[in-house]
Amino acid sequence: MIAEVKNLSYSYGKILALNNVDMELPDGSIGLLGPNGAGKSTLIRILLGFLSPDKGSGQVLGYDIKNQQTEIRKCVGYMPEDDCFIPGMDGVTFTSFLGELSGMPKQEAMKRAHEVLFYVGLEESRYRKVETYSSGMKQRLKLAQAIVHDPKLIFLDEPTSGLDPSGRKEILELIMDISSKKDIHVLISSHILPDIESACSHVMILSEGKMVSQGSISELRQINYSLYEIRTYGDEKEFLKKLEKMGCRVERAEDKIIKIYMPPDKDHLEIFKLAVEENVQIRHFVKSQTSLEDLFAKAVGAE
Amino acid sequence: MSIKQKGYTHWDGELKTTKYPWTPITKNGIKLAFKKKFFKFTFFLTLIPAIVFLVGIYISERLEDFAFLTSDMEAASFLKINPGYFHSYFTNDFLLFMIVVILVFCGAGLISDDLRYNSLQLYFSRPIKKKDYFLGKASVIGFFLFILTLIPGIIFFLMKLLFSGNLKFAFDYPWLIVSVIGYSFFITGFFAFYTLFISSVNNNRRYVSVLIFGIYLFSDILYGILNGIFKSEYFSLLSIKANIKQVGAAFFGQNLPYGVSWVYSLLVLLILCVLAVFVLNKKIRGVEVAK
Repeated sequence: MIAEVKNLSYSYGKILALNNVDMELPDGSIGLLGPNGAGKSTLIRILLGFLSPDKGSGQVLGYDIKNQQTEIRKCVGYMPEDDCFIPGMDGVTFTSFLGELSGMPKQEAMKRAHEVLFYVGLEESRYRKVETYSSGMKQRLKLAQAIVHDPKLIFLDEPTSGLDPSGRKEILELIMDISSKKDIHVLISSHILPDIESACSHVMILSEGKMVSQGSISELRQINYSLYEIRTYGDEKEFLKKLEKMGCRVERAEDKIIKIYMPPDKDHLEIFKLAVEENVQIRHFVKSQTSLEDLFAKAVGAE
Repeated sequence: MSIKQKGYTHWDGELKTTKYPWTPITKNGIKLAFKKKFFKFTFFLTLIPAIVFLVGIYISERLEDFAFLTSDMEAASFLKINPGYFHSYFTNDFLLFMIVVILVFCGAGLISDDLRYNSLQLYFSRPIKKKDYFLGKASVIGFFLFILTLIPGIIFFLMKLLFSGNLKFAFDYPWLIVSVIGYSFFITGFFAFYTLFISSVNNNRRYVSVLIFGIYLFSDILYGILNGIFKSEYFSLLSIKANIKQVGAAFFGQNLPYGVSWVYSLLVLLILCVLAVFVLNKKIRGVEVAK
């Protein structure tokens, strides 16, 4: 386990940003999901020691989040959500400077800065002033400064925001490559579900300051509900109503497909029984794999 | 095999904990200041008083060689090297004006740029504390102001001893070197707080530059106007320049230029510093928090 928090609460004046959050971050790559304003960035800022929690306790890599913030920041890398840089510096000086601030010797920091800029694909632009970088280049630069000191844990706050599809893909590949090293852990905060789905093995879902779901993606898929996709013939109104009464969530999808999210205590044969009762033919029936989007919708919606 | 093909590689060094984690901030601030247009030229201009006063010390020891210069009584009195000579250097209007110009160049963007480009979170995601950040930024100002105050002051003192060939000057004014050091630290400290304070109130460097310059000049103009109307030298307490001159006179044991106790001037400057600390502490955070 790389970090844990217990009963963590934080408020911005009257607005409760985090409400008694309990969480345990396992090793590997973890996705922190939640709609805008769910408290993701606040949680990361507390883990980094930028903010002191109103209530609760926690530790990151064995260091207390309230009293050992300097030690934590030595071992972690942080890629902020906003555009941030120091004007007047070129890419390599910027990265090396932040390496030095982390405690790297000057020459080592410079050498490593070149390496990580090559790694993130900024080798051609490393001598250009950072303020002239495009959005995609700034994202890469932020990633470079987050990994320059070879941290054990990297916090990535919306790492793909503002990127075009190819840039997004490349950044995700880099993140996956970094997290493939067993001794580096990555926490990705995002509201872009496919990003989390492709890069993370575990997921935590925050909604309105509360942790509504956490676990490995495969576990969550099994635990929460079963998803069936059906296509019917006949008057399906009553049939669907009865399914909903039974506790299922019903959604219409493309190509006349109906998605049925079935609670774990129900059997899929119930669908057929209801269809017989309502004189509806089922012409297509597939047990489908739930996507992270489904999990997210359920977790956030349920709360 | 290219770095990208190799994939992510670890750094095999060891992160060090230093006593002065703020030094990279200072070095970077100094480097960035020298990259600015016209800064080197302006900084050289600022050194002119130091060169002139140094030449004065040399001439004072070779009066017979420069008799044509010293025939004028005023020039001769100027070339008397005593605490007054040091006081004249440290509180002359040109130097103070140029110090403010240097502050505009090297200090205006110190915090305002970090606020504008959201870089505070980059600093504070590193193992540095708020005090390290301030020290790093203040040391940039310290570096330039010490070159204009402390270093010339010490050089004047040493050169006087060297040119005179004996230690009489040191024995006559044993406290002078302490005054030089004390005043240099005082003025540098004050201007560091002054600049960082103004730099933290806005994220537009140009606006901050105008404020640094404007407050310094306007406070003096205000004193002139109010003194002209009400004929009270107590209004000198409103002027930053007047307060610095008052404290400078006290440091070097000279007559006060304004008819107000130097303690009041010192208090005014210290209150400004305390206000600066308060504002800086509020404004500088790893993240913007609107409670």
